[in-house]
Amino acid sequence: METITITLNGREVSGHPGMTVLELASESGVRIPTLCNDPHLAPFGACRICLVEDERSGALMASCVTPIAPGMVVNTESPRVLERRRAIVKLMLASHPDSCLVCDKGNRCELRRIAADASVGLVDLQRISQPALIKEVNPFLERDLSKCILCAKCIRADHELVVEGVIDYIERGFASKPATLNDTSLEESDCTFCGTCVAFCPTGALMEKDSPYRGTTTTAVATVCPSCGCGCGISLEVKDNKIVRCRPDMDSPVNGGTLCVRGSYGYDFVHSEDRLTQPLIKANGSLRETSWEEALDFAAAGLKRVAEAHGPGSLAVVGSPKCTNEENYLLQRLARCALGTNNIDNGSRLYSAASCQGLGWNLGSPGTTNTLENLEQSDVILVVGTDPASSAPLVGYAIKRAVRQRGARLIMADPRRTKLSTFAFLCLRPRVGTDVALLNGLARSIVEENLLDEEFVTRRTDNFEAFRRGLDQYIPAWVEQATGVPERELSSAARMFATAKRASIVFGRGLTQQSTGTDAVMALANLAMLTGNIGHGSGGVYALQDDCNGQGACDMGVVPAFLPGYQSVDDPQAVKRFAARWGPFSPSGPGLTAVEMIQQANAGKIKAMYIVGENPAATFPHLGLVRESLRSLDFLVVQDLFLTETARLATVVLPAASFAEKEGTFTSFEGRVQALRKAIDPLGSSLPDWQIVLHLAKRLGHPMPYTSLEAIMDEIEELVPFYHGAGYAGAAGKGFDRSELEASPHGAKRLHKGQFPTGFGRFSSVHYVPAKGTAGDGYPFSLITGTSLYRFGGGSRSSRATRLIRFLPEAAIEIGRGDASRLGIASGDRVRIISPTAEISAPVRITDTLSDAMLYMPSAFPQSPVNALFGVDLDPQSKTPAMEACRVRLERID
Amino acid sequence: MDEKGPAVDPTRIGQIVERYCDQRWPLIPLLQEIQNEFGYIPPEAIEPVANALSMFPSQVQGVITFYEQLYTKPRGKKVVRVCRGTACHVRGGKTILKLAKQHLGVEEGQTTPDLEYTLDTVACIGVCAMAPNMVIGKQTHGHLNPKKVSQLLGRTGDARG
Repeated sequence: METITITLNGREVSGHPGMTVLELASESGVRIPTLCNDPHLAPFGACRICLVEDERSGALMASCVTPIAPGMVVNTESPRVLERRRAIVKLMLASHPDSCLVCDKGNRCELRRIAADASVGLVDLQRISQPALIKEVNPFLERDLSKCILCAKCIRADHELVVEGVIDYIERGFASKPATLNDTSLEESDCTFCGTCVAFCPTGALMEKDSPYRGTTTTAVATVCPSCGCGCGISLEVKDNKIVRCRPDMDSPVNGGTLCVRGSYGYDFVHSEDRLTQPLIKANGSLRETSWEEALDFAAAGLKRVAEAHGPGSLAVVGSPKCTNEENYLLQRLARCALGTNNIDNGSRLYSAASCQGLGWNLGSPGTTNTLENLEQSDVILVVGTDPASSAPLVGYAIKRAVRQRGARLIMADPRRTKLSTFAFLCLRPRVGTDVALLNGLARSIVEENLLDEEFVTRRTDNFEAFRRGLDQYIPAWVEQATGVPERELSSAARMFATAKRASIVFGRGLTQQSTGTDAVMALANLAMLTGNIGHGSGGVYALQDDCNGQGACDMGVVPAFLPGYQSVDDPQAVKRFAARWGPFSPSGPGLTAVEMIQQANAGKIKAMYIVGENPAATFPHLGLVRESLRSLDFLVVQDLFLTETARLATVVLPAASFAEKEGTFTSFEGRVQALRKAIDPLGSSLPDWQIVLHLAKRLGHPMPYTSLEAIMDEIEELVPFYHGAGYAGAAGKGFDRSELEASPHGAKRLHKGQFPTGFGRFSSVHYVPAKGTAGDGYPFSLITGTSLYRFGGGSRSSRATRLIRFLPEAAIEIGRGDASRLGIASGDRVRIISPTAEISAPVRITDTLSDAMLYMPSAFPQSPVNALFGVDLDPQSKTPAMEACRVRLERID
Repeated sequence: MDEKGPAVDPTRIGQIVERYCDQRWPLIPLLQEIQNEFGYIPPEAIEPVANALSMFPSQVQGVITFYEQLYTKPRGKKVVRVCRGTACHVRGGKTILKLAKQHLGVEEGQTTPDLEYTLDTVACIGVCAMAPNMVIGKQTHGHLNPKKVSQLLGRTGDARG
């Protein structure tokens, strides 16, 4: 590659064309101070602090925006440079308050550091008056623009990275400042409080509000965010065993300096007063504190007793998409070897099992096929049944960047209009539960107009003919009738998708949580194969995960039908391979899925359960049935951070440590295996889940020989083919080598470069069946659920995150304007929401985003558990309960 | 933006915006045309403009507030520009401005509530020989004195000031 050589402070250095002087200098170890430059943002040249002198012309140039040119002779510390830099700093200080003593930014202030380096003290220039602190009531961040130096980092982070566009400069000259539209407070604007601007601000102008510690901590631990499946890198700042601040990990390859409100401000559930610090045992109907010894003995004895009396088939284990890979791996080994049952499942059954099943069947690989980077490179992005801006904000950012910065076209297919819709080229609004018809309609239009990728279809897939015949009925007019999407929009979407060089599909809970979820995912996979969008250099299929390790829990075999790595429990070869490591284990044939366990418990067939990090009594559908079933168990062991609704029903409660108190790995939705690092010691006598499982396994007569997490990961690597190379580098005890560990998401290895893992991608005909639970008299509304930006997971953690609750204490039910006026309901009124299964109450919010006869309510609010309303209608293939939509009626509470 | 402007026809905004959608660098010409139509840029126009040009409303606001000649508030039918140049200053321009404020009952940059007059100042209008000067609409008035200002701006039954 061509190189350019320049002389930098008397030394010859070379860089590649297009590099700036600043970049080459920092690569060569020459430090040039700067305030407005950041590697995550495009060069801007606002602050002029980074100026350098071209010795040949004598010109002073801002090095961050000056590209290197052959023969340049640059001096970064000439007397002129130093003098000018000092003058610039003085001018900045003339409009900056001297409040360093009480400024929370303290010695993290970059302006102060640069002033000190330039030996600038008190400034004798005339002071320029500055705007006052802006009064804001949000609990997350505050603005004191008197400290703003107009570096525009906040505006650029907003426009370039998270693409919200909430702030920009207003006015000019002395009056100019970053402001929202109409200069309102942030809570009146569209701000999502992601905290990215705060992380980039070099001074105290943008600060975290109500920080538990105002000073600068000496420890900052880089770990992984637990609040959705994106796997963003976070940096936890710790003071006296307490997390006092969370910022994006600027070195993470995943999030590029961004976070969302949950990541930035949701961490304090870790220090909630509700944290369990001692094991509990139920005696005479109430729980009392006890020692670990007693609790573990009691738990093991209880499980053994039930197994002996009713057989191992009467036991069931629920693992957690919030626990690490290692913990889930141990847990399934405990279930299969120590308890002898395949009745093991995890909470992601509720929303993503359909995606594993659907994608696994067609593409031969369970989960997302390409990386987030590929997604951002797409020309067309089809988003189905998800609002990434709330459920997986990082994916939302990537989509918005693709649209705004690369001109990608976004097609949204969602019954509800969401914030992302304003970025969409085309908004299809199919009726609830008609996605299969819509997707098949798209496929048929593509086949009819001969826009399919014939080479891909012929060489890399099979079963195409049968699939094509199956599409016959999906003529546009029929699809319009079934879905409500106009013919014209359907064919224009089909054309746009098929003719794009790289077209991607992003889907989430709205699709998988239907009773026809698996079919819908297969229909998606068909569409991707039809247009050749699987594999290297193409778009790809992206299955969003709501929990931090939903992908990992399934990969680790915390599912009833698969051993780790999706090796079937019916495959004698696979069983033999695992038995060689674990010793013989007895169960054969797939066990029960999560919701089936509850049903079987109700039927008296399941007698004891061991539930880790999951809260079925608040997050599963048909809560009445769930609670009754759990109550009817002979023995229930619950392992959690809090005394959840489920834990209250337990015989033994084991206190677990949170993500910040342990090590291990999470697998993100793109298949990236990332290491957690321990930031603080476990609270009270809580223990990391993996240690508890090991203790329990020993007491159940199946001691597991692992001495460290490394040993567990080594075994996972050996037995799960696609985790090869995901493991811990370096010797035990030395910690993780991040670069090794995170270099390649294993999703990237599943890119189907040459062929599909199973040889061929397989088209499967799937057909539209009007979804169950969307017809019924006396229940005129169709209620759909989704994720709120201000809650995560099942809600047991985020409902204990103080700032998130202060900002959004309660879930409101959203209703369209027309329906509201017909019912005589005003915003803020309380209503009873009644389904055939249950009823709950909530305040009403009137919105323009819903069509008639539709309601929307976010899940994960334990006080108003919307899932209570749903029946237990299972998708026949994935056994995912249909929790996307149900029929309800409303009654106003006067 | 506290002054309430006259009612603005949103369909008219839509018609203007539509014509500019596919042009290159259309923002400023588009804002100018909106201003020609309404006399100022109504706040309601910001969002349609932003959507049509794939910009953020905050960015459009940034451009509007940056340029002196783009107005966010309704302007009067006649713009009164009092010269604050050196020659006018030594000939009593300061007093002329004070009188203009009194007659109109508004401060610099403000518009009378009946939307008849907007009072502005300018640095120099280039007819220093006639100082002190002011411009009303397109008409320049020189050799001003209090009587003349009263004739020009005094309004019947005027009780303001």
